[in-house]
Amino acid sequence: MKEGAASHQSVPQRPRDRKYSWDAIKKQKELILMSIPFCIYIFIFSYLPIWGWSMAFQNYRLGKSFFEQEWAGLKHFKLLFLDEGFGRVIRNTVAMSFINLVLGFATAIILALLLNELKNRLFKRTVQTISYLPHFLSWVIAAGIVSSVLSSDGIVNDLLMKLNIIDKPVLWLSVGKYFWGVVGVSTVWKELGWNTIIYLGAMSAIDPTLYEAAAVDGVGRLRKMWHITLPGIKPTVIILLIMSIGRLLEAGFEVQYLLGRGMTMDWAETIDIFALNYGIKIGNYSLGTAAGIFKSIVSIILIFLANGLAKKIGEERLI
Amino acid sequence: MKKRKTFDIIFDILNYTFMIILVIFSLYPFINTIAVSFNAGMDTIKGGIYIWPRVWTLENYKAVFESGTVFHAFFVSVARTLLSVSLGLFLTSLIAYVLSRKEFIFRKQITAVFVFTMYFNAGLIPNYFLIKNLGLINNFAVYVIPGLVNAFNMIVIRTYIRGLPESLVESAKIDGASEFKIFLRIILPLCKPVLATVGLFIAVGSWNSWFDTFLYASSRQNLSTLQYELMKLLSASMMKNASSAMAAGGVNAQEMSAKLVTPVSLRAAITIVAATPILLVYPFLQKHFVTGLVVGSVKE
Amino acid sequence: MKKMKVFVWGLAVLVLLSSGIVGCKKTGDSDNKADSHITQSDDGSKPEAVTFTVFTGEPGQQYAKDNKIYKLIEEKLGVKFEFEFQVGDLDQKLGVMVASGDYPDIIHGSSSADKLIKAGAFLPMQDMITDETPKLKKHIEPYINKIKEREDGNIYIIPNYGRYYGEDSGTWYGGPAFWIQKAVLKEFDYPEIKTLDEYFDIIKRYKEKYPEIEGQPTIGFEVLCYDWRSFCLKNAPAQLAGYPNDGGIIVNPDTYAASIYANTDIAKTYYKKLNAAYNDGLIKPETFVRNYDEYLAVLSSGAVLGMFDQGWQFEKAANSLIAQDRIERTYAPLPIVLDESITPYYRDRPPLNINRGYGISVDCENPKRFVKLLDTFLSEEWQKIFAWGIEGEDYLVDDNGIFYRTEEQRANSEDPSWKLSNKAEALFGNLPKIEGTFSDGNATTPVNQPDEYFATLKPLDQEILNHYGIKSYPQMLGKAPENPKYYPAWQISLGNGTDAAVAEQKIGEVQVKYLPTLIMDSVENFDTVWEEYLARYHKINIKAYEDKVNEGIQWRINNW
Repeated sequence: MKEGAASHQSVPQRPRDRKYSWDAIKKQKELILMSIPFCIYIFIFSYLPIWGWSMAFQNYRLGKSFFEQEWAGLKHFKLLFLDEGFGRVIRNTVAMSFINLVLGFATAIILALLLNELKNRLFKRTVQTISYLPHFLSWVIAAGIVSSVLSSDGIVNDLLMKLNIIDKPVLWLSVGKYFWGVVGVSTVWKELGWNTIIYLGAMSAIDPTLYEAAAVDGVGRLRKMWHITLPGIKPTVIILLIMSIGRLLEAGFEVQYLLGRGMTMDWAETIDIFALNYGIKIGNYSLGTAAGIFKSIVSIILIFLANGLAKKIGEERLI
Repeated sequence: MKKRKTFDIIFDILNYTFMIILVIFSLYPFINTIAVSFNAGMDTIKGGIYIWPRVWTLENYKAVFESGTVFHAFFVSVARTLLSVSLGLFLTSLIAYVLSRKEFIFRKQITAVFVFTMYFNAGLIPNYFLIKNLGLINNFAVYVIPGLVNAFNMIVIRTYIRGLPESLVESAKIDGASEFKIFLRIILPLCKPVLATVGLFIAVGSWNSWFDTFLYASSRQNLSTLQYELMKLLSASMMKNASSAMAAGGVNAQEMSAKLVTPVSLRAAITIVAATPILLVYPFLQKHFVTGLVVGSVKE
Repeated sequence: MKKMKVFVWGLAVLVLLSSGIVGCKKTGDSDNKADSHITQSDDGSKPEAVTFTVFTGEPGQQYAKDNKIYKLIEEKLGVKFEFEFQVGDLDQKLGVMVASGDYPDIIHGSSSADKLIKAGAFLPMQDMITDETPKLKKHIEPYINKIKEREDGNIYIIPNYGRYYGEDSGTWYGGPAFWIQKAVLKEFDYPEIKTLDEYFDIIKRYKEKYPEIEGQPTIGFEVLCYDWRSFCLKNAPAQLAGYPNDGGIIVNPDTYAASIYANTDIAKTYYKKLNAAYNDGLIKPETFVRNYDEYLAVLSSGAVLGMFDQGWQFEKAANSLIAQDRIERTYAPLPIVLDESITPYYRDRPPLNINRGYGISVDCENPKRFVKLLDTFLSEEWQKIFAWGIEGEDYLVDDNGIFYRTEEQRANSEDPSWKLSNKAEALFGNLPKIEGTFSDGNATTPVNQPDEYFATLKPLDQEILNHYGIKSYPQMLGKAPENPKYYPAWQISLGNGTDAAVAEQKIGEVQVKYLPTLIMDSVENFDTVWEEYLARYHKINIKAYEDKVNEGIQWRINNW
């Protein structure tokens, strides 16, 4: 079965590729019938409301119908792109989501591999269960804990002073250049266990005979991890990676908002915080939508790029 | 050979040590929250509560259960979660199966249509109109239907199905089984681990969500969910302070007994109440995460 | 037991009232008899039952089913309320409410009321306020121009607070001040502290004498600069220069011209002082990273000697100190100014709470009935029921007609769960109300009743008040002058997404970013960093902001 090159319209002209022929449709009528309800569903719930994007091109006023709204052209996009802080905002957003992506993936995969190596089943399950507890705390609580741990008399400063690494407490949250790191580490701490679940699920599909065979050959543990476990979860990793790359402008706002201080704002302000502060907070409903459209377009481009790259190197693809 | 053994031992020691450190790190915030939840609110303000309450109290929990509305809301939450998980899992894996079939001619287009939905959001108001036009306002179905099939979960299941031996489907086809039958009889049973994963995602998402109640069912008390009830309590407790400010001069700094619940202490109790039921789900799912389960059953 | 009590009382009240109504009807005089106010219908027949759905743009808690006040309202007036309270983000909720046009009958829009008005969610009320609603008419008379919507001259919302009858006997101060720990005052034998220099001097002397308070290092001065609460950092210069709390601007009392002050010499003088205090060790760098919870924690530790803040913001910390029985670590407000020539203007007359209160939505089927209800509730009888409770049950009356409460009754009124069954706070909070004193001389709320207030005072408080020759803490700030006509300017709406609103947001960001750095720098560097701050500041479209405020002030001056 050939795939990829053919696009919908060009196919019928090429008799060799009978992909979209009536025959094929007839043959696959079951699959088609099964997918139709889902297409309708996704159209209604995800695509129909997209008319709301028109808000980005209006000076949206509450209580007015669609036709009564005043059109504003690209005003809100200009507001977003031409703001002197826009470059900084993009930098912060991309930097934080990139750090989170790399740290998040690396730590979750490593933890999944290490958990897989635990022989005591009860211990393994206990660790698993406990490690995903922080996911259930809201960021408000988690940020409160981070803030107290990093305070001048907090445990981090205590420890570093005892180890003579620093000679007076560092106010971690007051220094802009530490901010991305603080957010990255806090996010890992909160989501590590949760992120691991998906890999543990994927590992269940690995054929145990592979391990048995490797054991017979006297292969070491690290090599087993490298040559059997890791390739076993590779498709999942690649797919998740592609999906995450699409979220590069999606650094969120909650953590940054809660951990950010006036002094660190130049490092903490993400695109979402910007849209919030200069949008809804001052009664401009359209700015948030404009920012959302911008993010969506970038996401979709990134997805295609990542997907294309995966195809090129012969890996599992998203689409 | 000996070298290998020593390496194994060292590896295990390091690994176990690492796990114990991880457990401490993961457990601390939770224990801290529990400690705060059992500590008197007025005392918590002083700070310095770590793993053990300083002034014991049950008032924070009493404040949660007092109004009594949380009990009904708990059942609404359980119902929506169960329904979302069972329906969601079945439907998501059905479409995932269809889109995992390499020969399916519309596979790419449909996949793309699904994938895009992860990256855009139409906004609050258009979504509200949709829900309203579908007659889902103040309707229990609003908790289940809009989130029934989610692209991320679908992709996760699809990736898993793709990893299964293709021969399974082919041989079944030769036997003349219909697609639906192949899905139901062969694929679905093999998907247990991924279904456990995705089921957990759906369950946690459904359990934790309060926004749909807030937007679409807030005026019906009997449709209120646990999370929403807890949100209400929390915001009410925050308000108590602000309102005294509004009444400039209206409220005096009276003597406060240990009875007084503050937003911080209430939030801690609420977190524990909200999280405990869903936390209990995971250990039951873990048995599905055992390596070899799938392939083993294929062989039978 | 309790239920029985309520029942018996309810029955008693019922008998009493019905006899009163019958009596009224006979004499045909329905206004003089006290009890007649309590029912709405003029002819004494039971009014038709009606239920109002109410959305409150503030969080709150559903009252208990057996709540005696709502029961009384239903019995007497045939009116029931179904409340929905705000949870989460108000703008989101109102956004969908307006977009869909599904309104409850009555809405308290809170901070977003303006949006509801602009979206046409409310019914104009002025034509319904007639001679048939005399109390309401009288209530709004003095300020009728202030509550008319600027654009169309309609009245949509009756303010919930700020209309005073008789004396304002407020005993609690929630406004801005430089606060000082009571222990400091006691230590130096209750000195008069007037200027900023004196204020930091006394803090310094106390800190030198007591470098530790109960084992914790003494902190001279705290500056909260977290999120919107950073007004602790931003607003002090205006008050130091003798201006009232107008937010980010000061208004010339003669010309009524508003201008920002964050870039002026008064601000520079203040931050220079803070810079000096920082380098003196009176301010710790930690103060600039604390979030609100941490701020409350450090205040409740009792180790902080002073701060600039509004009383309501740290109320919880003060309560915590009281609960710890450390009265000497709680705070007294001081009217600090830059130099002696300046008359302090800290205390103001509580301004009318414009655009806060109930409005009737366009979907309400019984708007007249609700207006009538507002009128009925403005009777002193109902006001007493809402504010004090049921006589004999929630408060007592002595031989001179003075209301007072027992220890138990006082404790009840602080008990959140008791209140859910015995108070109608959710409703009353946003009703137009009588504030100040009732015609019989009693205060309109228990906490403002002089004897009630003194009953809660501690020996140290009495000592302090005696030494300064005052009756309550607000008096430490002197008498409140008559508010300027436009006051307060911070209420003036900057409009949705306007340049003025953008400028205000930017000003705030620049301030919280630069001011802490400025304070924490060395004394020599101060001027350089100040110039940097000014350069950054002047890139903002300040004029748009000032113009908008000035325009609002002018409009108020011409129309109020």
